[in-house]
Amino acid sequence: MPNSDRGCGAGCLRRRHKKFLKNRLEAKRHKNEPATDPTATVADAPLVGEISVADEIKIGSEIAGNLLGAAPLIKDIALQNYVNRVGRWVATQSERPDLPWTFAVIESGDINAFAAPGGFVFVTRGLYKLLGDESELAGVLAHEISHVVKKHHLKIFQKSTLIDKGSKLLSKEIDHGKKSQALLGSGAEITSRGLDKDVEFEADRLGIVLAARAGYEPWGLANVLQAISNVGSDNSVALLFKTHPHPDERLSALDVATENSLGELQGGKVLTARFYRLKN
Amino acid sequence: MIRRSTQPKCKTRKSFVRRGLIFIVLIFSFVTLSGIAIADPGSTLKTDSVRAEPYPDAKILFSIAKGEQIDILARNGGWLRIKHTRGSGWIRMLSVKRGQPPKTNSAAQASGVLKLASGRAGTGQVVSTTGIRGLSEEELKSAKYNAEELKKAQSYAVSAADAQLFASKGKLVARRVAYLPNPGN
Repeated sequence: MPNSDRGCGAGCLRRRHKKFLKNRLEAKRHKNEPATDPTATVADAPLVGEISVADEIKIGSEIAGNLLGAAPLIKDIALQNYVNRVGRWVATQSERPDLPWTFAVIESGDINAFAAPGGFVFVTRGLYKLLGDESELAGVLAHEISHVVKKHHLKIFQKSTLIDKGSKLLSKEIDHGKKSQALLGSGAEITSRGLDKDVEFEADRLGIVLAARAGYEPWGLANVLQAISNVGSDNSVALLFKTHPHPDERLSALDVATENSLGELQGGKVLTARFYRLKN
Repeated sequence: MIRRSTQPKCKTRKSFVRRGLIFIVLIFSFVTLSGIAIADPGSTLKTDSVRAEPYPDAKILFSIAKGEQIDILARNGGWLRIKHTRGSGWIRMLSVKRGQPPKTNSAAQASGVLKLASGRAGTGQVVSTTGIRGLSEEELKSAKYNAEELKKAQSYAVSAADAQLFASKGKLVARRVAYLPNPGN
């Protein structure tokens, strides 16, 4: 940040010092964990034993590159920028604000969204077209952000003991394709692999809270789930339904989870006018 | 046409203006409250209260049983304004299922979902009406790493400062909201 010291008064300096002290304290607390990524904050400190944030981002890049091999970006820079702004703002409200968050809308008629470790989030054209306002987009992105924040995919790798093999592989100079093939078995398919049902419910619960924290009307995600439920058993939702609990099941889980928090989950912005609509 | 000719003419200009105003206000409230401009069909998923306003402590107008058919008029946050034979009011959004109730029994519909879930419903080569290919599991598995697209995607990423500016422009204000506990625990 250029000129960051300019115009920093006494109060500002005091706050900075306080932040510095806090960071030092937290750094001490985490000193046994290897420092890997200079941009990583304390919140980024590895939850999953051996894997560093830097390796997490590498794994995520492999998967994201593969997914984009299956479905390229929609060629609309204004759209991609818009989605990145909404997504980054929502991610800023999470425990991992400093990941290199990358959001994109990909060319697929399917209704689906994908997350990869390290902060990669993809929404298909089919899902984007179902959205009616910015709070709904925020809700969908918030669900995917929650998977990244909670390291849901990484934990699967760890369970299948791929990580150990993976961290060795990542340091080797081999082709990207081969690397992720060897590492993840099936490349981009991991993003859509059925996570535990509870993990999807958790991402829904976290998602509506992250959207609310970002100042959006929190029920955008629920509204999208209702819209997906209304699509019925179309081919465009086949993979989504295979890998997620049915939207109706997710809605009733949200119903139970939000029962005592209705007061907190009120208000917020919908931003219909600003929502970027696809031309076709 | 016949009806119109038999209708009495409006007595004053004032009533014309008033009708126009009501019409405008109605349109405005539909547009601002939700994307639903006309009544959408729906049904209740559980027994719940219909309230005078979209708040958990608002006055209860009447109770509505599970499986009742309703019309959805508008949405406001987690609440839907609905019309029922007994009147209209606000109900929790998550107590309602959108869309026409299934014509056949629900078991038939469930089996459709199951068929999809087991992957037996299609060939996996999904072609949507827009001509854009879908993403099947097989396609994801066989996808080849695309470095160029990844680089492009990363070039569209924005900084936290940029996102903050964007939020301010939309008058989005960050607020403190606690995570929801897992009700299963």
